Amino acid sequence: MKLAIRTEHLTKIYAGRVIAVNDMNLVVPRGVTYGLLGPNGAGKTTTLRILLGLQRPTAGRAEVFGRPCGPNATEVRRLIGYLPTHPRLPGNLRPVEYLDLLGQLYRIPAEVRKPRLSSLLRAVGLLGATDQKIGTFSTGMCTRLGIAASLVGDPPLLLWDEPTAGLDPTARRFTLDLIRRLGKDRTVVVATHILSDIDQICDHVGVMHEGRMIFSGSMQDMKRRLRGDDFCLQLDGPDEGLRAVVAAANQLDGVGASLRDGRTLVVQVHQRQSRATALGEVLRLVDQVGLSLQAVHSGQNETEDAYLQLLQEDQAHGFQRFELGTGPAVDAGPGDPPA
Amino acid sequence: MPALAILRHELRSLWSGWLVRLWLAGTAVLTLLVVAGNWQQLPTAPLIGALHFQYLFFPWVLVVMVLGVMPVTGQRVEAVADGLLSRPVTRYEFLLASWAARVLTVCAVYLAVMVPAVVLVSLADRPVREDRVTLFGVVTALGVVGVVLTFLTSLGFLLGTVMRKPLVPLVILVFLWYPINMIMNVYSLEEISPLSLNRSMATLLRKPPPWAEGDSAEEAEASDAGLSNWTARFVQVLGEAEGPQKREERPFFDSGEFEDFSLGRVLLGYGLPTLAALVLATVCFCYRDL
Repeated sequence: MKLAIRTEHLTKIYAGRVIAVNDMNLVVPRGVTYGLLGPNGAGKTTTLRILLGLQRPTAGRAEVFGRPCGPNATEVRRLIGYLPTHPRLPGNLRPVEYLDLLGQLYRIPAEVRKPRLSSLLRAVGLLGATDQKIGTFSTGMCTRLGIAASLVGDPPLLLWDEPTAGLDPTARRFTLDLIRRLGKDRTVVVATHILSDIDQICDHVGVMHEGRMIFSGSMQDMKRRLRGDDFCLQLDGPDEGLRAVVAAANQLDGVGASLRDGRTLVVQVHQRQSRATALGEVLRLVDQVGLSLQAVHSGQNETEDAYLQLLQEDQAHGFQRFELGTGPAVDAGPGDPPA
Repeated sequence: MPALAILRHELRSLWSGWLVRLWLAGTAVLTLLVVAGNWQQLPTAPLIGALHFQYLFFPWVLVVMVLGVMPVTGQRVEAVADGLLSRPVTRYEFLLASWAARVLTVCAVYLAVMVPAVVLVSLADRPVREDRVTLFGVVTALGVVGVVLTFLTSLGFLLGTVMRKPLVPLVILVFLWYPINMIMNVYSLEEISPLSLNRSMATLLRKPPPWAEGDSAEEAEASDAGLSNWTARFVQVLGEAEGPQKREERPFFDSGEFEDFSLGRVLLGYGLPTLAALVLATVCFCYRDL
C-alpha cells in the first residue's frame, strides 16, 4: 500500500511537561479522505504541525510521501496544502496579492501563477472581493481564502485543520462539498472534532485521544465493529401500535428491535441476516399496524456512538494502554479493531 | 525567489504600517528642529554629529529595536508559521528576508532624512566658522551609522527570536543597552558605544581619504568641542550629574580624545556582533517550535 503519511512512535512533549502526542503511529494511504478525529487537546493540530515541520518531534519520526518532515524540508511542504484553524492572513494585502505571494513561495512561474490565482478565487467564491483588503474579511471569507491558499501549489496532500470551524451553514456546505470534490484526485486529511463532517466526507478515519491514535481504519470498519447493522425508524402513531411493532419485529429471524425516545424504533440486524430483507419485513409490520413512517435512518448516530465508545474503551483500558502502545497493533488497520 | 518574495512582502508590510511612517515623519521634524536650532551656532561637523544623536542614542534607537524585535514574537509567530513557514520556505530564507527588510527600512529612513540634511548643512552658507568636512568623511560617517543601525536591528532581532513575548526583549534592550552604552562611552570606546561614536563623528567627518591624509587634522580640532559639548550636555541632563557651569572644564569632552579613531576597528566592532547576532538568531529560530 502506498502511503501519503506515516508516523512511527511520534511523540511531542512541550517543555518537558505537557504530552501533546504520545507514541503515535499514523498511517494514511494515498488517495483517501482521512478524518483525524478527537476531542480538543487530543493532539490533532500538533500532529499536523509536526508533519509541516513547524514543530520538532520529541521522539519518533514522520514521513510524507516517504520523505522525512522537518523545519527545512521544503520538498515535503511543497507536497502539502495546509489550512490552519481560523487562518491568520496578512490584513494589509488583497486576496490576489496574498495568493501571488504564496505562488512565488511555491516557485510557480508567473505565466502559470496568474491564471491559477483567478481560477482559485473564482472556485472559492471570492472573485467579487478581490479589491478588498483581507483585514476586512469575515471568518468565512478568510477560511475560503485559506482554502484557496492551500491549493495554490496544487499539492497532492491537503492538511485541513478544522476547516468548518466558525462557518455558517452555507459556507460549511461549500467547504464539505469542496473536500469531497478534492478528495477524488488527492489525499485529504481533515482534523476535526465535528463528527457529522467526518461522516459526510471521509472514507478513512483515525481517532486520537490524549495524544494517542486509538483507532485507524475505514469508516465502515469503525461503524461495523461497534454497532453492527442498525436502522432507526421514526414512527408516528398510538403507543400500543408502537409496542406491537416492537414485539412483532422481535419475532423475526435475525432481527432485534427496541424503542428509543418513545417514537424511534431501533432495528438491529444480525450479521447473517440480509439487511434489505429484514428492513422490508419491519416496514411491512409498520404498515400492518397502521403506524405512520416519518423517516428511516441507517446508522444515524453510528459515528458518534462509535467515537464515544472508542473514547470510553480507551479510558477504561487504564494501565493496559501502556501495554497496547508497545506493540505494532496500537493502530487498528482496516477491519482490524483494537483489543 | 521565495526569499525575494518574502523580502518584498515584509518591506511592503513595514512601509504600510504606522510605526515606520510615524518614524519617518518624526525624524524629519526632529532633524529640521536640530538644524534650525543650531544653524548659527555649530560648525558643519559638530552639527552633522548632533543630527546623528537621534539615531545613535535617543530616541530612534528604540524604534530601530522595536522594528528588529517584531518579526517572530507574540502573535506574529502564528501568522508567520501558518501563512509562510507552512509553505515551501526554509526558516533561513524567512529569517534572512525579514532581517534584510528591517535593515533596508531602517537605513532607508535614515538616509532619506539624513542625506538631504547633511547636504544642506555642508553646502549652505551659514554664519559659523568654516569647517573642513570631506566627502570621504561624510560618506564614511553615513556608512558607519548604517552599520550601527544594522547592528541595533540585529540585536533586537536576536532577542526577539529568543524571547516569545515582544515586551521582554525590549525591556532587556533598554535596560541593558543604555547602561552598557554609557559605560563604554566613559572609556571612549566608539567601537562598541554608539554614544562615543557620536562624539567622535566630527573627527570622522573631517577625515581625509587614505590616499590624501595629513592635511587637515589640526585645523579641525577646535570645532570638535562643539559636538562633544552638545552630546555631553544631553548626557548630563539625563544623569543630572553636574551643574552646567562645570561642563566646559571637563577634559573628558576634549576633541583630541578621538585622534586614534580607526574606521576598521569601528566596522569590526559593530559588524562582528551583527554577524554573531544574525547567526545566533538563525540557530535559535531553527530549533524553535512554532
